Amino acid sequence: MSKRKAPLTRIELLQGTLDLIILQSLRWGPRHGYGLLQVIRSMSHGVLQVDTGSLYPALHRLERQAWIQAEWEVSENNQRVRVYRLTVAGRKQLAIERSKWEQFSLAVAELFAAPPPEEAR
Amino acid sequence: MSSDDRDARNDDLDVEIQSHLDMATRERVARGESPEAAAAAARKEFGNVGIVKEVTRDMWGGGFEQLRRELRYAARSLLRSPGFAAVAIITLALGIGANTAIFSVVNGVILRPLPYPHPEQLVLVTSQFPRLGFDQFPVDAAEFIEFRERNRSFSDVGAYYATSVNVGSETGPARVPSAIISASLLSTLGVTPEAGRWFSADETLPNAAPVALLSDELWRSSFGGDRAIIGRKIQVDGVETQVVGVMPPHFDIHDQGVRLWLPLTLDPAKLADYRGSHYLNLVGRLKPGISLATARVQLEPLLQQWRQTDGGSMDPAQNKVHTPDAKNHRLRYDDLLTDIVGSAGRALWVLQAAVFLVLLIACANLANLLLMRAETRHKELVLRAALGAGRGRLVRQFLAESLVLSLAGAAVGLLVARWGLHALVLSNDAGIPRATTVGLDGRVLLYTLVLALGTGIVFGLTPLLRLSTANMSLSLREAGSRTTAHAGASRVRRALVVAEMALAVTLLVGAGLLLRSFENLTQVDSGFDRSRLSTFGLVLPGATYADSMRRVAFFHQVTDQLQQVSGVQSAAAMSGLPPLRQVNANDTRFEGYVAKPGIPPQNVDYYNWVTANYIATMRIPMIEGRAFGPMDGATSPPVAVVNQTLARLFFPGQSAVGHRIQPSGMVDTTQWYTIVGVAKDVKQGGMDAKTGTELYLLYDQAPKYLGYAPRYMNVVVRSTLTPKALAPAIRRIVGAIDPSLPIVGLRTMDEVFAKALARPRFIALLLVIFAVVALALAAVGTYGVLAYAVTERRREIGIRMALGATEGGVLTLVLRQGMLLAGIGLVVGLAGALAVTRVVRSLLFGVRPTDPLTFTAVGVFMLGVALVACVVPARRATRVDPLVALRLD
Repeated sequence: MSKRKAPLTRIELLQGTLDLIILQSLRWGPRHGYGLLQVIRSMSHGVLQVDTGSLYPALHRLERQAWIQAEWEVSENNQRVRVYRLTVAGRKQLAIERSKWEQFSLAVAELFAAPPPEEAR
Repeated sequence: MSSDDRDARNDDLDVEIQSHLDMATRERVARGESPEAAAAAARKEFGNVGIVKEVTRDMWGGGFEQLRRELRYAARSLLRSPGFAAVAIITLALGIGANTAIFSVVNGVILRPLPYPHPEQLVLVTSQFPRLGFDQFPVDAAEFIEFRERNRSFSDVGAYYATSVNVGSETGPARVPSAIISASLLSTLGVTPEAGRWFSADETLPNAAPVALLSDELWRSSFGGDRAIIGRKIQVDGVETQVVGVMPPHFDIHDQGVRLWLPLTLDPAKLADYRGSHYLNLVGRLKPGISLATARVQLEPLLQQWRQTDGGSMDPAQNKVHTPDAKNHRLRYDDLLTDIVGSAGRALWVLQAAVFLVLLIACANLANLLLMRAETRHKELVLRAALGAGRGRLVRQFLAESLVLSLAGAAVGLLVARWGLHALVLSNDAGIPRATTVGLDGRVLLYTLVLALGTGIVFGLTPLLRLSTANMSLSLREAGSRTTAHAGASRVRRALVVAEMALAVTLLVGAGLLLRSFENLTQVDSGFDRSRLSTFGLVLPGATYADSMRRVAFFHQVTDQLQQVSGVQSAAAMSGLPPLRQVNANDTRFEGYVAKPGIPPQNVDYYNWVTANYIATMRIPMIEGRAFGPMDGATSPPVAVVNQTLARLFFPGQSAVGHRIQPSGMVDTTQWYTIVGVAKDVKQGGMDAKTGTELYLLYDQAPKYLGYAPRYMNVVVRSTLTPKALAPAIRRIVGAIDPSLPIVGLRTMDEVFAKALARPRFIALLLVIFAVVALALAAVGTYGVLAYAVTERRREIGIRMALGATEGGVLTLVLRQGMLLAGIGLVVGLAGALAVTRVVRSLLFGVRPTDPLTFTAVGVFMLGVALVACVVPARRATRVDPLVALRLD
């Protein structure tokens, strides 16, 4: 529950990240919400704990933006489940998000690797 | 998206989330948890299902649909706290309802145009006698005819005077308010009859066959609404009169409630005879393109030309002028609607402002309630934000909640307004002009809607001062402990309480001043003993009582027989009924009069023809000399009684008794009336006006010396019986003498006076109600804020008590906080009152806008109420258990 108590400024940052994570996870095939959570958890070796409550608002938002689309299927337990798959537009969006993320993480990495500026000394 | 789609999608969402929970549960069961524990854990992991669903649905979009959904959420969330919702809706219903009620009065009286074509062109033309102190006076018939010919500003000019006549109908004789009008008045007003025709010009000439126009109201009430009435004859004051038309509903002139229209008969050959007899009001229609201001400019040359043409008719010996001129006898133009509304306009705007202040206070209270509610809901709001709900969504949610409240409040408020209008304005005679046009029309409903939306936005947005992004992040940390008061929020809350108190104080001062004015008005000495006095009117038709002697005989018979009724002490008749009479302004000659500065022109404001025992029946004290008595007969030497004001004005420093005068209309100008006594002043021009000069003439002597006796007389009866108990005897006595005479307005003299004070009482009553409501709201607001502050500071108070603070110390601590707010509010409010009470100056009587007594009383009263509001939460603070308080959080 630690994420839920995080300040709003960080949550908004995470929200963008959540989109990226969902879109990326759907690249490996259609999933229902619960399955998506399990995939994210196992692929990230448990590091990324997506808050269950914020998953569904995010899925429905992405669906409205036509980056993913949903269909009703019947699960192995004979249960109606809503399954999400990536659309063509979603793939494009994922590429954009991904390149943004890479630029960002590269920039942060360079920042950490850089020696202290001369003047500051 | 249709609502069917919406429902299907809601169901889908339910299934989707349920399937999620089922899968999570199943997995936990597979790991060995019990089914119950697994289901509970899955649910806990998921979080608040309801809020997740709401936030998810928000992602679906759709403008109108979203609004509907937000309003529904708001309604649902309000239903979860019905106490809060009820308090808010009742507060708003009172605030908006009172505003709607007063606005519908303002709308009906001031804003709604008069029901004539192009009403803005209509101008009331009256005259002025600056030297006599008459600012607005009727014109005479000669002036009317000349003005109509000579002026260049008006396309047409009509004349009228209001009176009442006896009309015979199937339902018996009735006294009917009527207007005697020139044919040109109808064409000037431009309203065509709904049946029949206008008067023709010939029908206003002498010896024309009598004709009449009915109002729609009289046509329906007394003649069954039958169109066959046109051309038929009805009895008007005993004269067979042909009905030539029926005017449409609500057709009226100058708010007189005219039910019957009769032609004004004028003989163009007799202009000279008409001069000096001022009884007509003129209504002119401005020519297209000419404004009232232009017309006023054009009036000056007209007055000059008038003076040159007819200046000869001025009588220098009488020291008066009977044709208009630029100095002594001017004409004045007033917009017809403005003149009808008159001084009521300001009073109504004051009420509108006052009731708006009440609504502002109610808004401040609600803002405070919502602010506190927002504080307690912080956790939920932060949770929603964490789930991805945007800030705009939260703002909209707050607005939706306040709009649901304000619209619900407005809906209930409309009922309040309807009820209030009925109770206060329509069923009572409030002394407000055009009261019949007051109602809830489209414009009023629009005003209510705008008010509701505005109110909702104002008090709905206030809590958002607390909900900016920055504050939102803080709140999580604050949620952990409640030790520190939220500085920002409590500042807003305190400011709101101070504002409420200040507004309430301003209103209280205004109400106090008007209350004192009304009190002063009721204390005014009317000049006679009003207790156990009843009065009614009787009008003798000119046709059947052409002989003045018959009139005198009639009233003697009536009063003599009334005095035989057991329970009646005495009965008398008089032409003028106090305290509100039209000024007569009769030219009167004073023997040996010398015109000099300080001595007024020879003119008396009021003539009162009375029977011999009038002064005794009314118990008017005699200051000097004697009243009329048995020695004064119809043919004995003519005698008069004057009032103190007349004696003081015309006989300064000497006794009026023994002086001689000639009232206007003397048959034999060699004879003189002798003043035999001076009576105490009786109010005739209104309770708030200076008493005018009054001359009492013996009714019995009028036929012989003045060749005339008034037909319209009032009867006063001093009796232990109520008017209701007297009514059968009066009807029997009058009916036995002349069954065709209706008895008009039988009531107690107290009722006559109450009616004269109806408007000041109405205004004062409403203002007092508004001020008390305002103070009550402000007190509730203070209480709420303090109670909340005590809860917030419970831990601090607990520490203080643990450290040895006494109950008294804690009490003082809280009281000081509350009374400081009240004190600031009081000072601001009194300063505000000093600034704004000037606007009510014209509504005050016998009290200055800065009346120290009122200001002091309001201050003490307000502090007392504030103290009560503070004591309750303060006492609660003293009961804080230090141990419990310290263990909190």
